[in-house]
Amino acid sequence: MNSNPEEHGNAQASIPSRLESRASRWRRPMGYLLAALGAAYAWSVMSAPIDSTQGIIQKILYIHPPLAYGAYLGFVITGVAGVLFLARQREDLDRLAVASAEVGVIFCTLMLVTGPIWARGTWGVWWSWDARLTVTLLLWFVYLAYLLLRSFSGSSPRTARFAAIYGVVGLVLIPLNYYVIEIFGSRSMHPENLERGSLGDGMGLPFLLGNLTLALAFFYLLILRWEVEAQRRLDDANAGSGA
Amino acid sequence: MNVALAILWKDLVSEWRSRDRVMAMLVFSILVAVVFYFALPMLRPEELSALAPGLLWTAYLFSALLGLNRSFALELENDALAGLALAPGNRGWIFLGKAAANWVLISIVQILTAGVFALFYGIDLVPALPGLATVVGLGTVGICAAGTLLAPMAVRTGFREVLLPVLLLPALFPILAGAVEGSGAAVAGRPIPFAALQLLLVTDGIYLIVAFLGFDYVLDE
Repeated sequence: MNSNPEEHGNAQASIPSRLESRASRWRRPMGYLLAALGAAYAWSVMSAPIDSTQGIIQKILYIHPPLAYGAYLGFVITGVAGVLFLARQREDLDRLAVASAEVGVIFCTLMLVTGPIWARGTWGVWWSWDARLTVTLLLWFVYLAYLLLRSFSGSSPRTARFAAIYGVVGLVLIPLNYYVIEIFGSRSMHPENLERGSLGDGMGLPFLLGNLTLALAFFYLLILRWEVEAQRRLDDANAGSGA
Repeated sequence: MNVALAILWKDLVSEWRSRDRVMAMLVFSILVAVVFYFALPMLRPEELSALAPGLLWTAYLFSALLGLNRSFALELENDALAGLALAPGNRGWIFLGKAAANWVLISIVQILTAGVFALFYGIDLVPALPGLATVVGLGTVGICAAGTLLAPMAVRTGFREVLLPVLLLPALFPILAGAVEGSGAAVAGRPIPFAALQLLLVTDGIYLIVAFLGFDYVLDE
């Protein structure tokens, strides 16, 4: 189980790795698709009916839950990539973990920004210690801490290992936090679920498009950030060997 | 297993010789109790005692952070941590030894702090004692498990001791939720909700497993 320094050396030699080059090939077509979908999404949100009780602010629905899915997806990928990195000692997985954490934090931040705006309009308060909100806020802090841990311990194999361990802690915290809500369930003001049937006429399509567009945006940004990280490590390695 | 006991013994003996860690944590906890009095000046005594379990856990958390940081800052002197990493056998046992030592030292401070809070905020501790001891003991297992995993990371970053609270506090939410709920029930003379104990046990178990397995990677140079 001990990490092997030679393997680090080998993994560094191949930047970008096969997995990374394969992912990069998908990015450009994804970008075109994203532009097209984004346009359709914008149009469908604009032409969606205005909610009879909440008014125009209800349109945040088309962006807020999809952002949440992206945030959780990012955090899960960070944790899983961290575990795989520890098990296989493949540095490209560490680069994936950091990319995923950053994109996840962006999605989570945007969700935490759109949430209060919607809440002010419908619940009447900017912030409430609603169970789901509290848990997501805590998770946001976990991944901010993850990024802080990375930035304050420089770039070394040790940083990657520390971050991977912390990513695993974050991963086990997701179900644990939801377990807390389950038990102490301060009643949530969020709806239990978002069944398609519960949306009004004409709201299903923009919601679906929102989910597709933001999922695609998530993966596009993830791969882009992954490429940047690989390039950065490559530059570091070259600078190191040149000196 | 012997490794764990040896490390537990080593930590306890070195603490017994200096007693600085326990003293620092204890004085800090009492100061926190005093700070609460100044921070909440308009409350009547009975209102304060209703808040006491939450305040007590705030003091526990902050003093535990102090002790956990110190527990590994000490090991950095003379590269003792590298020595530990070189010890033969599974490093999970090293984790268990360090965590157990932290648990013992933090528990000593917690018992004394509880006495101080009882005195300051007029809580009758005697009937609450068995329940409170169970909840605090279980909660501290979780704090020590997660803290002993994260503290050696924090002290070896450029940020040193400052990073541990940022890493540890968001991870302790399940512990804090169960512990405050359970302690509140114990102090109020109610039976401890089973859900609170269950939550503490599950979280302790998960953190112990993650830390036992993960400590290997934390000690690697």
